[in-house]
Amino acid sequence: MTTEYVLRMGDGKRIYLTKEKILSEIEDGSANAADLGEIPDLSADEIDKLAEILMMPGKSVSVEQGMEVPVTHDIGTIRLDGDQGNSGVGIPSSRLVGCMTHERAFGADTMELGHIDYSFKPVKPVVSNECQAMEVCQQNMIIPLFYGAMPNMGLYYTPDGPFENPGDLMKLFKIDKARGSMEHAAEHLTRDMVWVMQKLFASGADGVNFDTTAAAGDADMYGTLRAVEILRTQFPDMYIEVGMAGEMVLGMHGELEYDEVRLAGLWPHEQALLVAKAGANVFGPVCNTNTSKTSAWNLARAVTFIRAAVEASPIPCHVNMGMGVGGIPMLETPPIDAVTRASKAMVEIAGVDGI
Amino acid sequence: MADTEALLNEVANAVISCKKDKVLEAVEKAKTELPPEEIIEKGLSAGMNQVGVLFERGKLFLPHVMMAADAMTAGVKLLEADLPAGEKSKKLGVVVNGTVEGDVHDIGKSIVSTLLQSAGFEVYDLGRDVPIRNFIEKAKEVNAGMIGISALMTTTLQGQREVIDLLKEEGMRGKIKVMVGGAPATQAWAEKIGADCYAENASEAVAKAKELLL
Repeated sequence: MTTEYVLRMGDGKRIYLTKEKILSEIEDGSANAADLGEIPDLSADEIDKLAEILMMPGKSVSVEQGMEVPVTHDIGTIRLDGDQGNSGVGIPSSRLVGCMTHERAFGADTMELGHIDYSFKPVKPVVSNECQAMEVCQQNMIIPLFYGAMPNMGLYYTPDGPFENPGDLMKLFKIDKARGSMEHAAEHLTRDMVWVMQKLFASGADGVNFDTTAAAGDADMYGTLRAVEILRTQFPDMYIEVGMAGEMVLGMHGELEYDEVRLAGLWPHEQALLVAKAGANVFGPVCNTNTSKTSAWNLARAVTFIRAAVEASPIPCHVNMGMGVGGIPMLETPPIDAVTRASKAMVEIAGVDGI
Repeated sequence: MADTEALLNEVANAVISCKKDKVLEAVEKAKTELPPEEIIEKGLSAGMNQVGVLFERGKLFLPHVMMAADAMTAGVKLLEADLPAGEKSKKLGVVVNGTVEGDVHDIGKSIVSTLLQSAGFEVYDLGRDVPIRNFIEKAKEVNAGMIGISALMTTTLQGQREVIDLLKEEGMRGKIKVMVGGAPATQAWAEKIGADCYAENASEAVAKAKELLL
């Protein structure tokens, strides 16, 4: 009887595949990334290595000794204290306790402070509280502590913000007006992110993490890159991390350019160059998980995309690994077998600098 | 006499160019040689399908999809007078589409509506933040064959199950197919709540709607 190995579908369901099937899924997943991103496929050695990682017998696996990489966290302390279906486990704790737990119990190499809404815009009215929390945390911690939030440009459109919703305008075929709305929103986004971070840097933040950049499309990315550029000029020594929302920059506007490069449709290896150009220290590439495909297909695809980003990037790449990204299944609490295999593959095959 | 394939390709390529004037010009040219049904199916719809593929590959973007849809609608309008009786109102099926209550994400669902419409479905897009009962009422009103339910957050995903439960309560579940989609939705979730299908993206939504309704 042919040996079968336990893997998962992208939605987390357990499946059993033979080695031959795993190899064919890896080849297909890698080919999909290579086709979309116009990047090289995984080599035969890399395919074998990935299959070996996926077929390892242990429930969890780890990188080889000497290949350890920095591990940092986004979403602030919401992972611990969040109790509203927002990826948290509902442990009542202050943000100081949450940050210190990440530092002293979880072994995080860096940490970030974040607000419960985790977007820059809602931080504006409570920025003094955030500054105070940052100061208190900095006084109690050793590892670099950043301030983290999402650009989340959707908050600048109706019904949450002042500008007409481009989605509504598009439906009425008012394309130019929709584009104008996005451009205005991007200007405000840049202004707000710079303002918030000026305050947080003055309160001792070691850096900033722009998390889920481009979630609202190319204008969201434009606004964020501009903010990075301005902050880099004002704070030459600050650590700036730009993490993405998805593998490809969605073209909501379609014509916005940064450094004479059209932002819409950029894949991770192309995004890395612009993030570095804007002045960031670290790039956080993303590859989305397809829930209808196997973990072998998804992981091969993710490793192919991220390896290309690592090779192209002039700055370190800390890949996003979690629910529905980085070859990890789309589950609120991702299973350890999938998370550790995906992480090992990202370090040992894609060559990421951190997670 | 111009080659049929060349004429249809010209129409399809005009749609892919997203330019209304080009589409109208190509349709005017094709209608002198070809029946309107063929121009719609193998020219306009084929072009729009390709627009969907290029959108997912990051080669065309949202404004282009909307412009192409607008151009295609204009092309169909130009052919309507020549359509045989009964063909004018012929649709692949009636679909009610919306994002569940509490969820204001709209764009992905709108793209699905646009591509379904372009593929020949009659689509009633209820927008975002749609109360559960509104899906049912609209489906009754327009005699829908399918309800499409989008949710973009883990916290609003439950709304998809509530629509299905209400369909059952109203004794309508057997008559109406249900498609679910959105970032946190999965095939396993669709099976768990008893939906008829899950679609990963807009092109898949069109393919699965055809499988279910034709």
